[in-house]
Amino acid sequence: MTAVTADHHVPASPSQHGPVRRLLLGPGWIRAAWMFCLFGAIGFGLTVLARWGGGWDPILYKQPIILISLLVAAPVGFLAGLGTFDYWTYYALGHPTRAEDHSGHGARTWKDYFRVNTDHKVIGMQYLVTTVIFFLIGGMLALLVRAELARPGMQFVDTQTFNGLFSVHASLMIFLFVIPAFAGLANFAVPLMLGAGDMAFPRLNALSFWLLPIAGVMMVCSFLVPDGAFACGWTGYAPLCSDHQPLGAVFFNQGVQWAGASSIMTALNFLVTIITMRAPGMTFWRMPLLVWANFTTSLLVVIATPFIAGSQFFSMFDHVMHTSFFDPGGGGYALGYQHIFWFYSHPAVYIMMLPGFGIMSEVISVFSRKPIFGYRLMALSLMAIVVLGFSVWAHHMFVSGMASWLRVPMMITTLLIAVPTGIKIFSWLATIWNGKLHFNTPFLFALGFLSMFVIGGLSGVMLGAVPIDIHVSDTYFIVAHIHYVLFGGSVFTIFAGMYYWFPKMTGRMYNEKLGQLHFWLTFVAFNCTFFPMHLIGVEGMPRRVADYAPKFAAMNMFISLSSFALGASVLVFLYNMITSWRTGEIAPANPWRALTLEWQVSSPPPIFNFTEIPQVVGSPYEYGVPGAQHAILAPSRAREVPPEVPA
Amino acid sequence: MRRSQILTLVGLGTVAGGIAAAVAYLLPWLPQPASREAGRIDFVFWFVTIICIVIFGIVAAALLYSVVKFRAAPDDDSDGPPTHGHTGLEIWWTLIPTLLVTAIGVVSAIVLAKNDRVGKDYLHVNVTAQQFAWNFEYPSGKNMASGVLRVPVNKSLLLTFTSKDVIHSFWVPEWGQKQDTVPGIHPTLHITPDKVGRFPIICTELCGLGHATMRTWAIVMTQAAFDKWLKGTSTATSSPNPAVSGAAVFKNQPCGGCHTLSAAGASAKVGPDLDKLAQYAQQANQPEEDFIRTSITDPNAYVQPGYPKNVMPPFNLPKDQLDALVQYLVQSSKKG
Repeated sequence: MTAVTADHHVPASPSQHGPVRRLLLGPGWIRAAWMFCLFGAIGFGLTVLARWGGGWDPILYKQPIILISLLVAAPVGFLAGLGTFDYWTYYALGHPTRAEDHSGHGARTWKDYFRVNTDHKVIGMQYLVTTVIFFLIGGMLALLVRAELARPGMQFVDTQTFNGLFSVHASLMIFLFVIPAFAGLANFAVPLMLGAGDMAFPRLNALSFWLLPIAGVMMVCSFLVPDGAFACGWTGYAPLCSDHQPLGAVFFNQGVQWAGASSIMTALNFLVTIITMRAPGMTFWRMPLLVWANFTTSLLVVIATPFIAGSQFFSMFDHVMHTSFFDPGGGGYALGYQHIFWFYSHPAVYIMMLPGFGIMSEVISVFSRKPIFGYRLMALSLMAIVVLGFSVWAHHMFVSGMASWLRVPMMITTLLIAVPTGIKIFSWLATIWNGKLHFNTPFLFALGFLSMFVIGGLSGVMLGAVPIDIHVSDTYFIVAHIHYVLFGGSVFTIFAGMYYWFPKMTGRMYNEKLGQLHFWLTFVAFNCTFFPMHLIGVEGMPRRVADYAPKFAAMNMFISLSSFALGASVLVFLYNMITSWRTGEIAPANPWRALTLEWQVSSPPPIFNFTEIPQVVGSPYEYGVPGAQHAILAPSRAREVPPEVPA
Repeated sequence: MRRSQILTLVGLGTVAGGIAAAVAYLLPWLPQPASREAGRIDFVFWFVTIICIVIFGIVAAALLYSVVKFRAAPDDDSDGPPTHGHTGLEIWWTLIPTLLVTAIGVVSAIVLAKNDRVGKDYLHVNVTAQQFAWNFEYPSGKNMASGVLRVPVNKSLLLTFTSKDVIHSFWVPEWGQKQDTVPGIHPTLHITPDKVGRFPIICTELCGLGHATMRTWAIVMTQAAFDKWLKGTSTATSSPNPAVSGAAVFKNQPCGGCHTLSAAGASAKVGPDLDKLAQYAQQANQPEEDFIRTSITDPNAYVQPGYPKNVMPPFNLPKDQLDALVQYLVQSSKKG
């Protein structure tokens, strides 16, 4: 027990009892295990009882039973057992609550990362480690897809498995890697950058994190369903997904709900934190652009994510309850699914991009030793992207058969988004111009991002033009575009962010040589994998096929070999992260000589971030301005309390 | 900015843009257009690609120049000049992209309008998609149905789509145009093929396990050859003699691609041997006529042992053509 928490600690009620009882009834993995089973059993019992009472045959019908007991009730039991609801339950039951109890805050041993923790820094790391695990699983699924596609004809898997592989690959990468990895980085960095002690709602923050592994495990487990994983693509178009799929489809529908709920809670938390918990003097125009980026992203999430929740509920209702939201046979409208789905999923493209823009602004400014060029326009273009982002969804539907007049207006708004995006690219270039460039790994990834994202953005402009889009819709050109934007764009920025904040998170430096090796391997293998896809797509190879015309054989073999190299490059990253975390050089508080607040405290930061809330007096990017200061901090007392003092 | 800097930048931009242009121009990535619409799409494609290559060249030049010229020495801890912005520059790089995308929008809208304009004299074909087969019906040929799309060259073609189950998508890469088929609605697509030849029809919307195999052919013929085919085949399929009409239906549909039937000269071995239909019907313990009819409209109701399930899609032919095909199969399997 450390000195910091000792004065606050009030024993939790179960700990007044014996150790065995505490083990079984206290929050933790043991209680999570039996409550998971208990809730699952209750769900099972209720379903069977209802079917028996209603006289429905058969009583033991697997669809509703698996849905209610395994996909809804049991995860709630798991969360309750782990202790995410404890505080609120005590409050609701009228027990004394322990507002100042910080026993669940901060990490003193590695075990503290495996329980409900309210410290935003711990939650950030929980997010990042979890998402990297799902990144590895998703990546391996992609390598299996490429193994099958290396040669025409069918070699390793049947079509059900193949369709499952690319569907689960995309869902994991989008819902369990890119979106939550950004949430993890922001969770760690945003409160520190704002000069706040934590997020506005730390318990909600903990709950948001613990929803994620549930979503991920659910999507991966769809492979264990007897008839196979969900195999209708991550877009889950109705009526294929809502009517013609094995039970695995419901695992996707529900997985998206858990991940979506997590997103929405985190976004609300960010909004309230950013609006109400800025340090004195931190006006909106003095916020670092990472904070701006997460502010705008959170607006998108809060407004758009309920739409995908709706679309997945309707699709699941059609599947399990035989409603007819999207089934024309019962009066439904099949295209309705696409409209609702893309009304979320297009803004989701920016949900997966804007936080990366924020990371880029930090990294580029720090490693160029120059202020961000056109700070206000940078922030305003984020807002412009948010507003325009809601008016372009139907550009995913140019060939769908929707009202044809919609195509030209949607094309215009789509093309206009290139303008604010272009402003950001040009402003970053102008920031680099005349700077003093330091080519550390984060900056290499930032430059990689700039060049790759320009290609992805330009192919996006091509797709915006309706006639071109009609030709290349649902071909490998789309696959190339999405990977240039989401891998060359988002994933490169996530790597940049992980290397950039690694010293702050772990208190140790990563290995610079390995970092640079990782970058160059990734950069080359990435281009060899995805650039040729543009060509075969335009030439006529459709996406989501297990077999293809022999004329594409050579290109596909090349792409598959490159993708294995890309997979291997991730091993360098993993090795670097793991060994550096254990035995890396001790990091100074501010290895990058950055001005933002998180670098003004120790590495890793003290449990409550700041001994005294800092006073912000200027912009966070005043590099090269003589005498400029971003904030005035009280001298840190962090070093006076070593992290592990025996009680 | 100094003059030497500008020259270096222009040089770098030209090299980067040149490489990109060479890749775009030298690699054969656009299929050879075989319709007027594809020709116009190609025009938009090159119009946008050239703009993109210019922008890429500018960004690449600025990036490469910075990487080479502004590298800090290892022991240099100084900061760069504190430039906070430049209103003039910011206005330019808002204005020029806006103009460029407006130009792209205008060109695209014009081409889209032209591509969708159906000529006065056009051929109408009803396209039905289902897991995992295409069927084409010619209203001008007594609703004669065919598994392969035959059309005349240089004539407006209007396709009306129906889907029996899930969403599919109709695409001929050489024609450029594409349309999803959606259950419950009937979208249309306009194409003017301008080259005689045989082109693949590809389903591009994931539609289930057989998605990759949902392919057939579009055959573009001269007007005279098409008229002869349409008249001959539609007369044959509506002939009262099942030996004539049934044989025509068998030939129009893709039956011969998987089955053996010696009367029709078909010898494929993917599905059951149709010369042995009488024997199969006995094994299934059903009257032969009913057995054949069900096996066409609902192939999974009974699957001959030794052959996999869920391979053959159900065929829903117009009633007279189905009757003719059933009679034809009964007769020819007796001969076999």
